[in-house]
Amino acid sequence: MTELGQNLIDALALGSLYALIALGITLVYTVMGMMNFAHGEFIMLAAYALFVFAGLPFAAAVGCALLAGVAIALIAERVAFRPVRNADLSAQLVTSLAVAAILQNVIAVTVGARAQSVQTPAAISESTSIGAISVPNLEFITLGLTAIVLGGLGWLLYRTRTGLAMRAAAENFDMARLLGVRADRVIAGAFAISGALAAAVGVLLVMQTGQVSPTMGLTPVLVGFVAVVIGGFGRMFGAVIGGLLLGALSSLLGVYLPDGLVPFREAIVFTFPVLILIFRPHGLLGGEIGKARV
Amino acid sequence: MSAARFRSRRSAATSLLLPLALVAIAVLVGANGTPSLQGTVTLILCNLIVVIGLQVFVGNSGVYSFGQLGFATAGAYVAAFLTLPATFALLQTPGLPHLIVDAHLGAISSTLIAAAVSGLLAIVVGLPLMRTSTLAIPISTFAFLIVVYNVVANWDRVTGGNSGLVSIPTTTSVESAGLWAGAAVILALAFKWSASGYRLQATREDEVAARSIGIGVTRERLIAFGISGVLCGIGGALAIHQSGVLNPATFYFGATVTTMTMLVVGGARSVFGAVVGALAISVVNELLRSVENGANLFGAISIGETPGLAAIGLGLILLATMIAMPNGLSGGREAGELPWIRRLGSAASALPTRPDGAVAGLPPIDRPANGALRAEGVSLAFAGLQVLAEVDLSLEPGEALGLIGPNGAGKTTLVNVLSGFQAPDSGAVRLDGVEVTGRSPARLAHDGLGRTFQAALPFAELSCLESVAVGAMGMGAGRRQAVAVAADVLTRLGLLEQAELRAGSLPPGNQRLLGIARALAIQPRYLLLDEPAAGLNEVESEQLVAILRSALADFGCGILLIEHDMNIVMPLCSRVQVLDDGMTLRIGTPEEVQADPAVVESYLGSSFLAAADA
Repeated sequence: MTELGQNLIDALALGSLYALIALGITLVYTVMGMMNFAHGEFIMLAAYALFVFAGLPFAAAVGCALLAGVAIALIAERVAFRPVRNADLSAQLVTSLAVAAILQNVIAVTVGARAQSVQTPAAISESTSIGAISVPNLEFITLGLTAIVLGGLGWLLYRTRTGLAMRAAAENFDMARLLGVRADRVIAGAFAISGALAAAVGVLLVMQTGQVSPTMGLTPVLVGFVAVVIGGFGRMFGAVIGGLLLGALSSLLGVYLPDGLVPFREAIVFTFPVLILIFRPHGLLGGEIGKARV
Repeated sequence: MSAARFRSRRSAATSLLLPLALVAIAVLVGANGTPSLQGTVTLILCNLIVVIGLQVFVGNSGVYSFGQLGFATAGAYVAAFLTLPATFALLQTPGLPHLIVDAHLGAISSTLIAAAVSGLLAIVVGLPLMRTSTLAIPISTFAFLIVVYNVVANWDRVTGGNSGLVSIPTTTSVESAGLWAGAAVILALAFKWSASGYRLQATREDEVAARSIGIGVTRERLIAFGISGVLCGIGGALAIHQSGVLNPATFYFGATVTTMTMLVVGGARSVFGAVVGALAISVVNELLRSVENGANLFGAISIGETPGLAAIGLGLILLATMIAMPNGLSGGREAGELPWIRRLGSAASALPTRPDGAVAGLPPIDRPANGALRAEGVSLAFAGLQVLAEVDLSLEPGEALGLIGPNGAGKTTLVNVLSGFQAPDSGAVRLDGVEVTGRSPARLAHDGLGRTFQAALPFAELSCLESVAVGAMGMGAGRRQAVAVAADVLTRLGLLEQAELRAGSLPPGNQRLLGIARALAIQPRYLLLDEPAAGLNEVESEQLVAILRSALADFGCGILLIEHDMNIVMPLCSRVQVLDDGMTLRIGTPEEVQADPAVVESYLGSSFLAAADA
């Protein structure tokens, strides 16, 4: 029983992390229609900010990581994504792939291609006991952060003018523009929030693994993409559900898979969306993409 | 046989120069090059085959796949397994079945088996993936790539795991790579210009319009995905038989970015673009790598060893191409379509018109005696708003029924229900007595239902002739027959002179006519036209009436005409059905409808009465 409880909390924590990734990707997708390959590199750059500013007090370093995440998202939007805003989905996707490849290799050239370790406060790697269950503090942080982000995002989207503009733009971009929503601002805003979410994920990943590497964003971005596909494109709620499902699956497979198959966990996790797509070609919550507009 | 032809026939001849050039380069390098140059060129040619494989799917479908390198990986491992010397196999892949270890196949047979296996894998993977959307395919194929990597990296006893395989026989010579590359170009061009290739290109240009002429999007994508898998498998197998080593990362993320850059920079829509891009980026890549390894630039600037520099360079090139030159170096054209090559071979013959009225090469349409397209009690609501309420409609072959009503009356929605683009909440659609409610648009097109849309939805990058011929191809016609049908239909619509122009380059009025031509090419028994005259000038409108008259007479199809222009509806239609607020207000002859005060009030307006009186 306690073991099951333990596993469920682990699953929930990993799922929350994945949900944060999926949310960052969905946010940009809803206002711009672009699946951002470079989101993984936003995560990676924020993590490297933590590595570079490791000399500062930890809270200050986290602040720097957050700034780095927002800054790189805004720069990428202005330099690379704005010029292809009106291109088709595939062209945007390839553009973001180019940005991802550039950022990844810039870090490889300037900082180094090998993984480097990062010191994090000892308290993070300790555990707290609740009854018979011992929960790593990192999982508390992850769960707490996810709750705060979801609440904050909900507040922003449904209680502020900016949020209203974003939702309007997500619903019908051209119409929103005609009604006076400023496209540049809304899209830049979405990227800034997406960058902040990426930074949060980057910090959590560093706390988890204690290291950074130029390719550390590749798996997270795929996880995010797959979660978005599972949840149905362009739905915040779907992204969260997709992330939670995928995280839970990955976490539980790690525990319950027979020993011989454990190395193939990742392969099994990424086969999962294919199984879902066989039965629901447009995701669990059925996105709009691919539906005919006649 | 009609002499009207695809522009591709001319480019077919000139495009054959492309594989010949590749073979010639290979032979030259083989005869005169240093061993290191030969090795470099061989690897470039192997890469080229993978890029051509990518082009077959991405270029023709317009859908990006990030998983094709997974097929190269599969092909490479299969080829390695089949050729590893027994002593090395025992050490590196102890888990491999004896049957495979003892195979010791030669270069060609192992490559062919690798091609077959990766093609089969592509079909198996593609079966579920191709059913998903244009945006889900890139993501799920990327997931596939990671799955493949994960499996080969961890299945130590069979694949050698992360340390990979060494001592693979190096049997790929530069000449053989050149021959394979030439064959790959020919295969890719043959596919592009086959009926299946054209159907797929139509889905790239406009998925909705493609479905309306009977094209099964999933099926066409799957065929190309399979061929792409075969080519990528060949490229992978040949490459490792050049280098002699293979590990899980050989064809992974980096190679995916590189090959994608080659395709996009060259111009994904054409095989020529794939070749140009692969060669150009390979040269740039070699230069960047020499810088990366700390070479002296021009003997002056000395740069230290900086791995990753080449990848940054490629990324920047890809980014710049996407922003500034999305059609790539080739502009998406084949070699034979380039203006300066065209001029060389421009013995362009005039297109003769057909004197007889019969549609070329097609069996007569079978027409059931009591056939009709019927809507029975069709109801539909969008988010609580009742768009259609218990609507009945009946259209017989050979008659023209006008469907009129104010904006928002539900006319287009009714056509969408009839043509399968929208499922009704209740009610039924019957085609010649058979219930067809819920059938897909493509299926209904095969059942004899053609339609146009409010927007022209042209297949912009295809020529007019190709755009119309693809309609006949959607019905399963071969190329030759489809061209004959298209030439015939274009002649009737007065568009034959534009046959070789890009559909996207026509003025709006002609694009609309082309939409009708495309729908006629499927030889429909019932043709649903959604505001065909919108945006036409007066002359074009009169032309349209004449065309529709002859369509009624020659093709014998029933026409449902949504139109606001009463000058078109009144002379053409024997009956007019008036929709208002999702309900049928009146059905009658044009005169009866015009005289009905309720209709006049709801729709025609007092100005029409005044005009009619005058």
